[in-house]
Amino acid sequence: MKQFRPGKVIQTVKGTPLTIVKYLTEGGQGYIYDIEHEGKHRILKWYKPEKVNKPDKFYQNLNDNARRGSPSDSFLWPITATERTDGSFGYVMELRQDGYHEFTEFLTDCKRIHFNTFKANVEACIRIVSAFQILHHHGYCYQDMNDGNFFINPSSGDVLICDNDNVAPNNKEAFIIGTPRYMAPELVVPAILGPDEEGNERKTKPSTSTDYWSLSVVLFMILCMGHPLEGERWLVPLLTPQNERYLYGSGATFVYDPSDGSNRPNPKVHANVIAFWKPLPPYMKEAFHRAFSKDAIRNPGKRLREIDWLKVLVRFQAEIRRCHNCGGEVFMINAKDTPCDECGKLQRVERKLRFRDYAVTAFKGVRVYRCMLESCNAENALTRVGTIVANPSRPGLYFLNNTDMTLEGRTAKGTVKQIPPNSVVPIKPGITVSAYSGSFTIE
Amino acid sequence: MPLNEPIAPARKILPIIYVIDTSGSMAYDRIESVNQAMYQTVDVMKDIAHREPNAEIKIGILTFASGAEWRTKDATGKPSLIYMEDFYWNDLEAGGLTDIGDALNELHDKMSRYSFFSDEVGYKMPVIIFLSDGEPTDDWEGALESIRDNNKWFRYSTKICMAVGEDANEDILARIAGRPDGRPNSEAVIKITDTDTLKKLIRVVSATASKIGSVSRTNNDVQESVLTEVKGKMSDELGVTIADQTSDYTDKPEMAVSATSFSDGSDQGWDDDWDD
Repeated sequence: MKQFRPGKVIQTVKGTPLTIVKYLTEGGQGYIYDIEHEGKHRILKWYKPEKVNKPDKFYQNLNDNARRGSPSDSFLWPITATERTDGSFGYVMELRQDGYHEFTEFLTDCKRIHFNTFKANVEACIRIVSAFQILHHHGYCYQDMNDGNFFINPSSGDVLICDNDNVAPNNKEAFIIGTPRYMAPELVVPAILGPDEEGNERKTKPSTSTDYWSLSVVLFMILCMGHPLEGERWLVPLLTPQNERYLYGSGATFVYDPSDGSNRPNPKVHANVIAFWKPLPPYMKEAFHRAFSKDAIRNPGKRLREIDWLKVLVRFQAEIRRCHNCGGEVFMINAKDTPCDECGKLQRVERKLRFRDYAVTAFKGVRVYRCMLESCNAENALTRVGTIVANPSRPGLYFLNNTDMTLEGRTAKGTVKQIPPNSVVPIKPGITVSAYSGSFTIE
Repeated sequence: MPLNEPIAPARKILPIIYVIDTSGSMAYDRIESVNQAMYQTVDVMKDIAHREPNAEIKIGILTFASGAEWRTKDATGKPSLIYMEDFYWNDLEAGGLTDIGDALNELHDKMSRYSFFSDEVGYKMPVIIFLSDGEPTDDWEGALESIRDNNKWFRYSTKICMAVGEDANEDILARIAGRPDGRPNSEAVIKITDTDTLKKLIRVVSATASKIGSVSRTNNDVQESVLTEVKGKMSDELGVTIADQTSDYTDKPEMAVSATSFSDGSDQGWDDDWDD
């Protein structure tokens, strides 16, 4: 089809017309234009008609999504669909701000685009998990997670999620089966789930549990800069579709599967994965072991959910500190004295925060989230309880209450003190801070 | 943990080989159109190659007239595939016979683990874009049988043929574009009668094949996907004929995934022995 010329006006369902400013680029499903809409520069995605499966239902779903509105600020959500015209239709979304890059660029152009810190890297993981938690909580399923869907700010780790047009109510309508390499194994080869009760092959379609698989793949790729299923077995001379069905479907094997070493990363080819996996804390490795276990491959119900990821990711982030000598990042795993990898200077643990299941080193900037204190559901996991702060005019570190509740502090001698919102308690051994129905103790 | 500058994750190589007729009948406006089209195509493909997370593109240019010759060479002057970012187009001139058989023999010789395909990281299914405007003048049939029966790389390649002008032999091109089981594939032969359309077609086929050939595929529809997309993009042009694709596969995202299209990916094809 011919591209729209600048100045062309298209009517939207919302009733506010859009004007084409210029053609930007082409994606798999459609064309992207810079437009003017409601006095703002926005983006139009215009579908290639032959690329839309079930166009009537798809259009209806797009309108439903636009009407319901975005579940969170992290999504570049459809603002309105266009009217159906010129043989197809499209939708309007906000322009993303500067400073964000498609995750694909992190993979292909990493000399230029890479995370400035590992802390930002983990922050991006947390934000992606959190955004999908919100999406799933609203009853949606994303269906097509892949490296082109995320825009990430490499300094802050902030995330914007685009391509929300395939998002649909879970288990209701599916318009796409997903992007190979990111699709759950049962979408690639349904037979791996075994026959149904009547002995027939199962029909598989995208759902929350296939989203969970894709989410784990994305997290692994962000943290390790490589694909979790691409090890020795990927190194066939010619990768045919049949090989790919085996690699990503019937024979899917995690490169670090503890029970099956047949698909390990190749030192010459998969250097990133080897380099980034090695220093990951044991609980992160264990989470990936579970996420990509043979069991989780064949039993979609056993995949890691958002709460599982949030628990380990917030812990991991709390353990990353700056070397006080060279400024490099050090993983203070399990609150132990750790030498800096870059300058060798030993980072000593002076104070720790002891949570129910583990301890983290107390240093400036550590955040305490609700899921560190107690069992909670995914919606509440990232409720900020407090932050460790320093005050330039007073020595030492302090715990700042970030909640809007008065927390309770109890000293080793049993004295109880109130900690009102936005006030601090010194990081001194023996003090226990209680919040919600959990607590932590300073050691 | 030092956050050393990460290196780009390893990508498979997608070889795109142009096999171009430079016989006498291609002289003047036809070869000039190829030259002009390729200059523009190179820029488009460099951009695609730069942004593609699934594959790195390497280019090969093989021309045939009286004999066949590789135009892409390494630093020592040996025929070679060239990384897209290092590739520059050099104008071709036309003159001589139409030795399609020689071109096929050259492909057979170089499409090998011991020649062009020696990189340890491995390859995506190669794309061969074959352009001719005339009747072969040598033993093309013996050469085709030999490469088809003995060269897995060729058999698994995505082959798109362009038949330029009225004298191009479409039947022979359909056999060159044949399916892995050897059946001719007339649907993969695009007929073009005017040179402006040829220019656009070269650009569109190159860009489409680079994109579709790069992405990961779990069904066997690369050739059909490329042709369907090319047909869509060329639909406003005159002087081009692209057959409807009557494959078992469609390019639409399908929910009704049949057991045959996504059969249990057995462990066949994992042998390292790619050169018979």
